[in-house]
Amino acid sequence: MTASSVNHFGSSLRRPSALRLRAFVEFVQRLDLVQTINVLTLVLSVIFGFEHWLFQTVARICLLVFVLQPRVLGKPAFWLVLSIAGTIATIVDWERIDNHKYLLDYWLWVLFIAHLFAEPEVLRRTICFNARFFLCLAFLAASGQKLSSPSYRSGAMFEHYLYTDSRFTAFGKLIGIDPSVPDAVQKRIALLRSPFAQVEGNELQIPGSERARVAALVLTWWDLSLQLIMGLLLVIRRSVTDVLAHILLLFFIFTTYIPAPVFGFGWILAVMGFTLAKEKFPRIAAGYVICFAAILVYQVPWRDWVLAAKF
Amino acid sequence: MLCVPAASLLILGHQLYLSGKHDLSTWKGGGMGMFASADTILNRYAKIFIVERDGTRNPLTQFSQEETNLLNSALEYPDRKTFLRAMQKIAQENWTAMRQQNPVTIFDANGDPVATASEAFHIMVPYGRRSGDESQRRNIQVEFWKLAYDPITKRALSTLAQTFLFKSEELFPATAD
Repeated sequence: MTASSVNHFGSSLRRPSALRLRAFVEFVQRLDLVQTINVLTLVLSVIFGFEHWLFQTVARICLLVFVLQPRVLGKPAFWLVLSIAGTIATIVDWERIDNHKYLLDYWLWVLFIAHLFAEPEVLRRTICFNARFFLCLAFLAASGQKLSSPSYRSGAMFEHYLYTDSRFTAFGKLIGIDPSVPDAVQKRIALLRSPFAQVEGNELQIPGSERARVAALVLTWWDLSLQLIMGLLLVIRRSVTDVLAHILLLFFIFTTYIPAPVFGFGWILAVMGFTLAKEKFPRIAAGYVICFAAILVYQVPWRDWVLAAKF
Repeated sequence: MLCVPAASLLILGHQLYLSGKHDLSTWKGGGMGMFASADTILNRYAKIFIVERDGTRNPLTQFSQEETNLLNSALEYPDRKTFLRAMQKIAQENWTAMRQQNPVTIFDANGDPVATASEAFHIMVPYGRRSGDESQRRNIQVEFWKLAYDPITKRALSTLAQTFLFKSEELFPATAD
């Protein structure tokens, strides 16, 4: 990323929108792939990294070192330090860490190994190979685990979480599930959890809604189909299938991380997608750059606003 | 180029094994099972009781953040060792019974109270620091429950999956001798 490309992009903001779009795509095309991946991964580590104090401290120090000496991103030792901190954080909290955090640690190790290679082409191929591998693994393994899960296939999982996971309450309200429904369900289920209550047969009728049931079924099969198709398309490794996979991945990231606040996962999927698209599909790469901005915008407390709004 | 992918596949296989055989949550452990099943702490919970020497028991419900984190780790991977780690931390508190006993209420499937159980409990609060008095060394019992939701019948069913009893010698190993 050079000063002249940034200036060029800035001056293009004054032009009509089609030209601005083309200028934006050209700006993305001129970005250096490896440098951009490095920066995006560092941002991921600092903003959406592990919660363990060791990793957070190391990531922030790495950020400071980068600000003072940007070329440090090209040093394998930089990524080794982050990788080790991530691995320690993973081992210490392995039962509690979400699965997507493992993906972050893998990606840090990939960058460390890639930067061991002096030849830029080998470095680029290492990063691209691993990006494709982990995207395929994430989607195909997830699809396999979903298909093998009775609670997923029946729609029970999404319906249960629409009722009991407070992160979905605002999304539920947007699709017509009044917040009083999950409130009532959570109050009812609290009886099972309380040691001061006994429920006959340990079984409770759930005061759910038919809309939640339908939404759960739609989410269930939409999510599974999307992930399975993306994984299969990326395995094939043809331009046509790659373009389709990227379009679906962009759609997946833009839509999934509104209701599901697993932003670190969305970010790393976007990093890997950008890695694969940057050289061959510049417009799609520009779409991933917008993804990163969207993920940051999704952080605004829109759930509080929706829950406070009267409709 | 292949060492990280190979490591990830090993970890995935390990996670699948632990999920299948040792009840590790599919959302944890390095698999790709997030949002793949109803198998998080929203579906798992523990009822923890302090057991007095005369066999009476009272539930513990007020935990610090650190204790809650350890308990959540144990719920995600419900192994005796992980629960013991959590209970050793919880046992450090000076659990004191409030004076009044609260009866256990029996509810029907619609959540309506129908009767009072014969069992009654004191509310236990962590109060001050433990004195180290031997008489305070109690056992802790953990009931690990799993909650399943049936979308056809619209019923939630809880099942007692495991019960653990931790003796005071396990909870205070340094001074057990």
